[in-house]
Formats: sequence, C-alpha cells, structure tokens
Amino acid sequence: MTQVAQAMRDKTAVCGVGLTLGNFQDKSALALSVEAYDLALEDAGLERKDVDGLIQLSFGNDYDRFLEAVGTDVRYAYQGWSHGRFIAPMLQQAAMVVASGMAKAVAIVHGRRRRAFGQLADTEMWRQGLGPHGESPAYGAMGPVFGAAIAAQRYFHMYGGSGDDLAPIAMAFRKHAQLNPLACRTSPMTREDYLNSRWIVEPLRLFDCCQNNDGGACLIITSAERARDCKKPPVYISGMQGVHAGPQFHNLTLPGLGVAQQEVFNYRPQKEDLYAYQMAGVTQKDIDFLITYDAFSPLVLFGLERFGFCGPGEAKDFIKDGRIELGGELPINTSGGLLSEGHVVGWNLFIEAIRQLRHECGPRQVKDAEVCQYGSFLGETVIFRR
Amino acid sequence: MEPSYKVVEEKTGRYLPVIYPEELPFWEGARKHEIILQRCNSCAKSWYPIGPACPHCFSMSFKWDRMSGRGTLHNYVVFHKPWTKWFESKVPYAVVQIQLEEGPRLTTNFLDCAVKDIKIGMPVEAVFEDITSDITLVQFRPGKK
Ligand SMILES: [Zn+2]
Repeated sequence: MTQVAQAMRDKTAVCGVGLTLGNFQDKSALALSVEAYDLALEDAGLERKDVDGLIQLSFGNDYDRFLEAVGTDVRYAYQGWSHGRFIAPMLQQAAMVVASGMAKAVAIVHGRRRRAFGQLADTEMWRQGLGPHGESPAYGAMGPVFGAAIAAQRYFHMYGGSGDDLAPIAMAFRKHAQLNPLACRTSPMTREDYLNSRWIVEPLRLFDCCQNNDGGACLIITSAERARDCKKPPVYISGMQGVHAGPQFHNLTLPGLGVAQQEVFNYRPQKEDLYAYQMAGVTQKDIDFLITYDAFSPLVLFGLERFGFCGPGEAKDFIKDGRIELGGELPINTSGGLLSEGHVVGWNLFIEAIRQLRHECGPRQVKDAEVCQYGSFLGETVIFRR
Repeated sequence: MEPSYKVVEEKTGRYLPVIYPEELPFWEGARKHEIILQRCNSCAKSWYPIGPACPHCFSMSFKWDRMSGRGTLHNYVVFHKPWTKWFESKVPYAVVQIQLEEGPRLTTNFLDCAVKDIKIGMPVEAVFEDITSDITLVQFRPGKK
C-alpha cells in the first residue's frame, strides 16, 4: 500500500474561525468575507499582519480584491473553484503550505450572496459532456440535485428502500440545528412533515435538499506551535486524504452505484481508500463525531459507506433509531449541517468540527469529543483532534 | 452542421444542447435519426461522453459508428420542480440513463411511457425528437423484449 507521510500528523492546526449565516441583503460577498475574516482574527487573537497566506474559492469576490479591501499583502495566495468537494482540498493545501514554510498562517476566506451577479452555477450545466453533477439542460436534467437524486435511485434499486428512508437524516440534522443559535432552519420537523414535503426530483423531496443562504466563513491555519500561543485551544490537523476522481467516482455518488459510466458493484473501501486514518494514527472507532457533506441527504449514506462506518447498503438502516443524533453511536453534522444550519460552500461544516473539539458548543456539545472526521463520499477527508 | 453555443431558444424558452465542434458527427447522426458514437480502432469499444481519445485503451484512433438504438433502462429520476417556465407544462417528466447494448450510457428523457410505469431494467429503443430546424435530441421509449 502507498506509504503516507505521517510527518504531517498534528504539525498544523486551525487557530481561528469566523462564521455568519443568514439573509444579508444589504451586504456584498466582499463585505461578508471581510467580516468573517475579522471574526476569525479575533477568535484566534491574531492581527492581520500575522496572516501571510490566503485561499479563496471563486464565488463572490476574487482573492486580490479581498486583500486590497483588508490592506494586506501576502506571500501565498490561491483561488480555487467553488464546489463543496473542493473545501477539504483547500484546507489540506493550507496545512501543506504552513507545514512547508511557504506561509506562517493561511486564512481561508469566503463570502457569499446566494443570488448575486457573476455566479457560475447555471452556465456550468452546459459543459461539454454533461455538467459537474451530470446535468444536461436540454433534457431537463437540471441542478446539482439531479446528481444526488439519480445516485439515490440506484442505491435504493441495489439495496432496497426508498426516499422515505432518508427521513431520519433530515430530522436528525433539524434537531441539531435547534440547538445552534446560528442555524438558518430551526422549525420542528416530524416524520410527517418530511414525508409531506414536496418532491423536487423524485426520489428526493424538498427536505432532502439544502437551501443556499448568504454568509461568510473563515478558518485560519497555522503551525501547531504557533496555534498553542493563540487565544483558543488548537485543533490539530492529524490526517487527510484527497478527492478520489475518475470514471468510477462520479460526483454526488459512491463508487459501484452505476451512475453515468460507473461500474456496478458493492463498494467496500480497501485500506488504500482509507489512508487518512493511517496518517492520523486512528481508526473509525476513534471518531467521536462525523461531519459529512450533506447538500442532499443521500450523501450522508454515501459518506458512511465510503469510509466503512457501514457495509454496502447498510447505511440506510444505520441512520435510524437516533444513531446519528447527538448522544447516539456516531453523531453526524451536529450543527444541523448544510440541510439545516446553512451553507457557505460547506466551510461551516469545518467550523463546527473546530468548535466541537474546543468544547464550546453548549447544549449541542459532543461529550468529551477528542477526534472528529470530516469525510465525504468522494473520499476527501480531514481528521482533526484537540 | 455548425457548432452551436446557444443555450436557450428565445421564442419558446426551451433549453438547447451546446454542440461542441468535436461532437458534430453525433448531432448530424441524430438529425438523420441515428445514434452515432465513437468506436475505437484499437480495442473496438465505444464510449460516451464524446471525447478525443478512447477512455478504455487511450488510443486516439477511432471511427464514428452507428449504434443499434437498443438498450435497457439503467436508472431514472422524475423531475417535479419546473426549473424554468418552459418546464411548467412538462413536469412531472423523467430523466433516464440508458445502457446501450454497445456499452456506453446516455442521459435522456423517456417518451411514450407514464412515469409510474418506468422500471429499471426494462428494454428500451431510441426515438428521435426534432426540437429546432437543426437540432434533434436522441430520446428513448419502451422497447421490445
Ligand atoms: Zn480503445
């Protein structure tokens, strides 16, 4: 098996986070990103001169406009493509930049207005050879939800069940959101509410889909050593692995489901597929809570099976009976996730991991949380520890 | 036929496919009511989406070849939310992924079949929908066993 560098284990840490979520019609994406940056600096006890690296994803403003706005020059800047699957790689890049000495502290910053000029989401669908979630607008195959729905359909075809089996996911995350003062969607959700929510793309209903909101998010990554001098306890980056990609890894699905050109088989991750655990020196059993990309509820099933928390087809039963709720066997998306907390390209998922591991989550705190995994269906992951 | 970069037909509001230069033989075939895909001169396999090399053996040498138009319904979803005004009279409609007997899978609609009667594994056959004076969509409908 590929040998992964354990030299990266716990060498870098997240030292500051900032997050706003909601409806900010009077603010631009730039204003939201600057505000989140200010919150993260304050959280870390750092000043802007302490930050010499910047990573941004490309919804909203560009990296150079941000730096102009905050009056800072950096020696490492990067701007990537804004899709949720690229947040883990961006965090990993920040860690590698710090570990290699290219920058002392890297801020990942994002500001977003859900309906703002210049967003790419719609035109992407006309890409050559289908859109980034398999979209094909001439055939009415529209939006990311198409990719999630067609993957869910194959999952239920192979393993039994139906869209109704997704109810415990939406309900669990809504319960978590009710304990989160920042969450955008907190009204109670019963099983009946879930089943009565309208079809969007069958087998997915409205409550299987996240809704975009406005917001800003920032995480500051620095060396473990420097993080220990910051205001809040450091949260170490212990292990990581990349987005797995190619014909067998179609977006919004799991290998083996037979979406688009994928082969059909029962996916079980091999040791090769799980190298982040080796890097971090932990196993699935050590994970106190899981954070996974939940723009659509079936992605939670795929995340669980991708990392071997459940065998093929077993996640749809595992999620029942409170197992993924706070106090359950494996709490997932304790902030409410993208489904109920909100969505700033997914950065808020990482911010929840950090706040839980600092033990600052109040009524939704995972008791004695030591290790958290962010892990998503394409295999990208970051393992954090306090 | 020329490449086409128009994403919507102004008169009707219908979304159109963007036709990239290297896809012209496929769209010219569709106009003649045939499915024309690439076939590798080295390993004899076909593939989709259309691309510059054989993804199976990475040969750059291929010909354009007519597919039988037969296959099975591999997967489907039903759109209930109309994305634009044009779709309001179309919902609920199915988007399907069809496994051609030659191997590649196409994403299309499913015609001449109520959405409740769609079953994964059912045999299908190609049908062609002329949507503008130049553009024809490859579609599918229930086929013979
Ligand atoms: Zn070949």
